[in-house]
Amino acid sequence: MTAGHPPDVEVTLRVNGQARPIRLESRVTLLDALREHLGLTGTKKGCDQGACGACTVLLDGESVVSCLVLAAQCDGREVTTVEGLSSDGRLHPVQQAFVRHDGFQCGYCTPGQIMSAVALLRAGRAGSDDEIREFMSGNLCRCGAYPNILAAIRDVAAQGDHVEVVGAGRVPAGGERS
Amino acid sequence: MSPVTVDAKLLGDPIDRVDGPLKVAGAAPYPSDVSYPGMAHAALVQSTIGAGTIIRIDAAAARSAPGVLTVITYENTPALPDGPMTILGPSPRFPFKDNRIVHYGQHVAMVVAETAEQAVAAARLVKAEYEPTTPVLGITNPDAPLEFDAWGMDSTRGDVEGALASAEVTYDETFTIAPETNNPLGLFATVARWEAGRLVVHESTQWPIMARQTLATVFELAEQDVRVFVPFIGGGFGAGLRFPPHAILTVLAARMLDRPVKVVLTRPQMFTSIGHRPETRQRLRIGVARDGRLLAIDHEATSTIGIEETNLEPVTMPTPNSYDCDNVATHERQVRLNIPNPGAMRGPGTTQGNFAVESALDEVAYRLRCDPIALRLHNYAEVQPGTGLPWSSKALRECYRVGAERFGWADRNPEVRSMRDGDWLIGYGMAGVTFDWYQAPCRARISIRRDGTAYARSAATDLGTGTYTIATQLTAQLLGLDLDRVRFDLGDSDLPLAPQSGGSGLAMSLSGALHQAAGNLLGAFLDAVADDAASPLRGRSPDDVTASGGRLHLVDDPSVGETYTDILDRHGLDELTADGAVDPKAEGAGMMPAGGFAARFVEVRVDEDLGVLRVARVVTAIDAGRILNEKTARSQVLGATVMGIGMSLLEQTEFDPGTGRVANATFGDYLIPVNADVPDLDVVFVGEPDRFSPVGIKGIGEIGIVGVAAAIANAVHHATGRRIRSLPITIEKLL
Repeated sequence: MTAGHPPDVEVTLRVNGQARPIRLESRVTLLDALREHLGLTGTKKGCDQGACGACTVLLDGESVVSCLVLAAQCDGREVTTVEGLSSDGRLHPVQQAFVRHDGFQCGYCTPGQIMSAVALLRAGRAGSDDEIREFMSGNLCRCGAYPNILAAIRDVAAQGDHVEVVGAGRVPAGGERS
Repeated sequence: MSPVTVDAKLLGDPIDRVDGPLKVAGAAPYPSDVSYPGMAHAALVQSTIGAGTIIRIDAAAARSAPGVLTVITYENTPALPDGPMTILGPSPRFPFKDNRIVHYGQHVAMVVAETAEQAVAAARLVKAEYEPTTPVLGITNPDAPLEFDAWGMDSTRGDVEGALASAEVTYDETFTIAPETNNPLGLFATVARWEAGRLVVHESTQWPIMARQTLATVFELAEQDVRVFVPFIGGGFGAGLRFPPHAILTVLAARMLDRPVKVVLTRPQMFTSIGHRPETRQRLRIGVARDGRLLAIDHEATSTIGIEETNLEPVTMPTPNSYDCDNVATHERQVRLNIPNPGAMRGPGTTQGNFAVESALDEVAYRLRCDPIALRLHNYAEVQPGTGLPWSSKALRECYRVGAERFGWADRNPEVRSMRDGDWLIGYGMAGVTFDWYQAPCRARISIRRDGTAYARSAATDLGTGTYTIATQLTAQLLGLDLDRVRFDLGDSDLPLAPQSGGSGLAMSLSGALHQAAGNLLGAFLDAVADDAASPLRGRSPDDVTASGGRLHLVDDPSVGETYTDILDRHGLDELTADGAVDPKAEGAGMMPAGGFAARFVEVRVDEDLGVLRVARVVTAIDAGRILNEKTARSQVLGATVMGIGMSLLEQTEFDPGTGRVANATFGDYLIPVNADVPDLDVVFVGEPDRFSPVGIKGIGEIGIVGVAAAIANAVHHATGRRIRSLPITIEKLL
């Protein structure tokens, strides 16, 4: 195998409601495009193999592990990341519930957990504790915050104010972190 | 006397994490999130043999690949001084100092390129030719070099052999525990940047001060010319306690290229680059009288270690302290193998040792036909065995009582295979926990500014343990300020010295330093008004004064006092600052500083036809002294319990017996618990504030994993009649 010269591609991602045209190598994953090219480091890399869920985002409203999606496949598609959940400086109800219930410790898997939780609630899969546990089992948490994650999702489901706060968020000013 | 007072409640307010909003918004900057203009990206190449030498590395194709800036191998690595000695031993072996390979997966090249994709692609083009030798593998390998009592911690009291020989009941069994891998979710990363001879490094470390010291030594810099940042880290569980070679290589690459360089380990590299819990074998011999009195304990532990490395793995350390027994001996051995060096993983040593001792006591209880709790109470260590010193605090008895009540232990039919729900056999098991005390020197600094806010800081870390939150909460309480008037910073080696986040010692050390800094700061305010005719506190002694509601005031008459701002205003000061320090010394305290104590109660369900084992519920009663924040403390115990479930049921790092290659180095193959593996977990705090700690606390970061495995194995025995002395308890052990 050779390193080769993969062609660059130009794609326009619609990230958190904003068109973001970028030029990148065709082999760049959606995850790396978000993190390295668009400065959206909220989405985390935990395995780069689709096994841990830390990189979960919504693609056209469906949850995907962004390490297994090429950015080149996402031209014109709607990507929602954790940065897009809060609006007008107000945290999304799921984010608030994670804080209230201490649904994390180190916080590294948290953006992925929250995106999966949002997808779960949108899909109406919070019918029972066991259903929530099962749906959330694609998102690893090595700190072991699972019982609190369950409690947070149960709480939001009971409040019923979670469903339509997705896809219209704003990209934080500044983009790149330094 | 310090004027500061600590809330007398056992349980501190369960406030939300102060860094919570940042974390849920994805805005907390972890080392792998750091980026600089012009930053290059590195990828690592690892050896494909377990032992031998590199004959040749052909990096020509990689060097000419698109975007590649340099390839570093042992051949073009300058001679670098070894890193310094730490309390965990000498710095890890630096693999680029010669052409020798000592384990499969050892770093042999670092490729640096303009983009991460280019670096990864070019890394595949690096070809190493080896002269392999036969790696030394296997914990029972008779050819493996053995180390005895490597840390001088082996202990003996009484006449163990004599007591064993004359005991009415004797016990002699062997326990094995598979190697495990820490696997914090956050991939370890290093971002290195040289700025006019000064070095700035963003590093996944649990110990910024040690990282700074290592970099200063290796790159021959003054310590003040090195700055290490780690405001957030995606977990560590011990993996960040040593300074890893890949970080040194990244700094070297940045120096060679004169531009910032970033490396992020891959998940498979997380198994071979930053340590793991070693494999252990333990032989436990116990002599006991018919009435249940422990007469003798002989505990021998063997752990694996890198072929030319060091690792502190004190498996038997808590054994002499755990029970009132006159004759106790402990022996530690290490087997040198061609494996990546192990390292600390949550509750290192203690977690494994407890599995053996607490399983054995369950077996002894069955032989004597007595209740496992009664057996433990019969041998309760009211004072520290050996020295006879009183504990600084110990509520283990209450842990047993409260835990048993909440669990419903009294409903247990002690006969094995006696409890059933349809196809499920039900088992109840319990274990006791004695955790050793550890504490290290710490410094902290607090300022109060004219706007009435306080700024506290120390070069500590928050691994998710809650350091930011408890330090903020404690500072606010000590200074009588509202929480939102206090900021606490950590994760920066330029801040006052702090120890590692390890050994469950940081919260004790840091809280002591903050306590003293706050006292000194209030003293500084009183000094400022000592001759101030305008101050109602003029000439007052610290003993007469306390702080609340943003004011200093008399203890006896809160109406006599004034705000911090009033004092700073009148004296034209922007702020007042004071330092605090703890240099803990247990000697001469007239007591034995105690770590935490706990009792664990577990219900398991076993489907014998399918070999399925489920943990149905866990109740933990824990004495960790005063709890600074009930919410974050509970999370520590919950999370560690989950890791204990992983250890008991799922986790094993598989070293290929021929090469030492980790055969399951992915999250698809190395299983850790997922949400659906974890049942309801009940945690209750008991006891009282500790007498040795100035604020009454004990460590809580590790104790939550200890005892889970024994309680589960004991429950499996109760359910099935099978005694499993080997972890993890996988399906084939139950069929």
